[in-house]
Amino acid sequence: MNRFFKIIKVIGISILIVAFLFILFWDFDKENDNIPGITTLKYWYISGAKDELPYQALKFDSLRDDIKMKVTGIPWQENEKKVLTSILGGNPPDVVTQVTPVVKWASRNALVSLDKYIKRDNFDSTVFFPALWREMSYNNEIYAIPFNTASYALFYNKRLFREAGLDPNKPPKTWNQVKKYSKKLLRKNEKGNIIQIGYLPDYYKLQTVTIMAWELEAPFYNDDKTRINLTDPKMVRVFQWLSDFYKDYSLNKILAFEAGFGNANQHGFISEKVAMVVLSSSFPDQIKKYKSDLDYGVAKIPTFPGFKTASSAGIWWLAIPRGAKHPDKGWEFIKFSTSKKIALESIKKMESNLFPANKLAATDSSFLKNKRDKIFIENMKYAHSPAIIPLVHDAFWREFIGVQENVKYGANPLEELKNAEKTIQREYKTALSYDKFVQQEMKIDK
Amino acid sequence: MKRKQALLGFVFVAPWVIGFLIFGLYPIIKSIYFSLCQYDVLRIPQFIGIKNYTDLLFEDKYFWKSVWNTLFYTAVRTPMCILGSLLLAVLVNKAVKGMKIFRTTFFMPSIITGVVLSSLWLWILNPQYGLINSMLAFFGLHGPLWLQSTTWSKPAIILMSLWSIGGGRMLVFLAAIQGIPKTLYEVAELDGGGWWTKFRYITVPMISPVIFLWSVIEVIFSFQVFTEAYIMTQGGPLNSTLFYNLYLYMKAFDDFSMGYASALAWLLLVLTLVVTLIQFKISKKYVHYQN
Repeated sequence: MNRFFKIIKVIGISILIVAFLFILFWDFDKENDNIPGITTLKYWYISGAKDELPYQALKFDSLRDDIKMKVTGIPWQENEKKVLTSILGGNPPDVVTQVTPVVKWASRNALVSLDKYIKRDNFDSTVFFPALWREMSYNNEIYAIPFNTASYALFYNKRLFREAGLDPNKPPKTWNQVKKYSKKLLRKNEKGNIIQIGYLPDYYKLQTVTIMAWELEAPFYNDDKTRINLTDPKMVRVFQWLSDFYKDYSLNKILAFEAGFGNANQHGFISEKVAMVVLSSSFPDQIKKYKSDLDYGVAKIPTFPGFKTASSAGIWWLAIPRGAKHPDKGWEFIKFSTSKKIALESIKKMESNLFPANKLAATDSSFLKNKRDKIFIENMKYAHSPAIIPLVHDAFWREFIGVQENVKYGANPLEELKNAEKTIQREYKTALSYDKFVQQEMKIDK
Repeated sequence: MKRKQALLGFVFVAPWVIGFLIFGLYPIIKSIYFSLCQYDVLRIPQFIGIKNYTDLLFEDKYFWKSVWNTLFYTAVRTPMCILGSLLLAVLVNKAVKGMKIFRTTFFMPSIITGVVLSSLWLWILNPQYGLINSMLAFFGLHGPLWLQSTTWSKPAIILMSLWSIGGGRMLVFLAAIQGIPKTLYEVAELDGGGWWTKFRYITVPMISPVIFLWSVIEVIFSFQVFTEAYIMTQGGPLNSTLFYNLYLYMKAFDDFSMGYASALAWLLLVLTLVVTLIQFKISKKYVHYQN
């Protein structure tokens, strides 16, 4: 009996060890990769609420006998970290879709340069919106191809305009008008709490101070890009406007009012609590979903007298991560996806109201259905990149938005800008020296 | 036989030992090295000596802000948590009809996970439509802005945390109280001792090792506060809820400054260690071990 238990014990332990080694060393992807004559191309895209596979990948898969697409949707919030981990682990996908600044990735050596493919295939970059194409390069090399984009405009509530005695067909053109209209659109309840306001400079994704800085062409660096500059008079003017705006209201009342906002039908614009908001081209879909009878208009973003309007562009791009196993096939997929025909077809299949980054597709008559779309396309001309200081992207935005918050709470604009400039400069200096070190090490390696 | 047994023992602990070496010890040692480097994960680390530490201590305004926020949170939350759950335990220890319902009710909030809890409390704390301010308004009081106020944001998070963990800690204290021999209370009663005398001179000394253990654990937990601020405030308003771990997360996973984040992590260890040692020192005065 004892011997029997001994044998069972040995067998048990052996099975455990074999199973452990199997899990540790077996390449679970191997089987799929090894079909003769067929390349498995791994593509990771940013998945949304709907679990629908991207059209361009399915189409590419159906047209190519030599390629099998293995498509994985990575949730929005996890995306950056997962792609990063896969690159670090030496097993990245062949193609990724990303939306954060290309420079942030390229400067960290995370992407394959596409220059040799662009040169080899005479790839025509002029078909893309110039503002988007500019974002694809780092150190004079192209690292990604723009795929989709979102454009911004001023959304205003026509019903609330009428109620406040404003012309619903005349949205504000200047920031001073925004200030004036906002006061006219203000409504309070019997307790004195705000229940409706015209405008909130820091409400929603694209912040007013950012737009204003672009419009006034405020510099963020000095000329040789070695020092951060946030104390230029133009920048001070921007934050002074913000400071003046809040002086018309009680801060506590505004904060209590803002706390009631949420997503979907609790959004300030959809719930008709905020009459004017700068929103993206994908927002009409949300309005349709949660308040289809909302009477609203879309206009150019206001500016200062004598200055051009400005806007931002969110870019979904395609790229080949460093260490990808099939970069050549990956490039073919990128080329296919960003072509006019496929870009147009795939955008039509998508539920959200994005635009193709391919200008030919975006301006195609089958895509441009209404006047509103035309305003968004028009605004692409004035689009700026949110990658303002790419080497310290997140630190920059943390500080810049921090200044905005401090000024809102009553701080002096110039003092706050000085403090932020100092903090970003410290981070920037460290980043520059690290970048220099890495470039030198890479040269030595080569 | 002895050798064989030892070998078998080693085989059985091997998965844990291997796991610890690969996923525990190695990253710990590596993070010491990274804390002395500029390192963004994707590129090679650059050795910069103690610059990360000197930057943190002498240049970084967020570091001291986050230390202050975390110490405030710890200093207010820990005693309130211990005292609150101890009092709850004393209350639910009474032999009253339907006590099980009370015990269950108090315990229930502790089964809600951090993210759900934070989303729920976002609405409870809403200044205009929230439950708390509506109740205060019913009594004619004007409630604060809670998470929108630089003064009230930390107390709001502490309040939420107490609501959620109080019940769980209550159970621990309840078990400890029920372990006290009844004879001690009977003797006190014979000598004419009231409820306060019994609580002060029997209950508290008898469960003082449990109070000490939980005060150490609570301090360590408080230093790790993260989810509430990450979900509810993102550190705002005006960095009033920028807790240490939230700042560490931002440096590591927003900025990819892994060297800097490693230095932050090591300083947190030092901070926790110092506070825990102080607690051990003080404990000698109030903790009574029966042996």
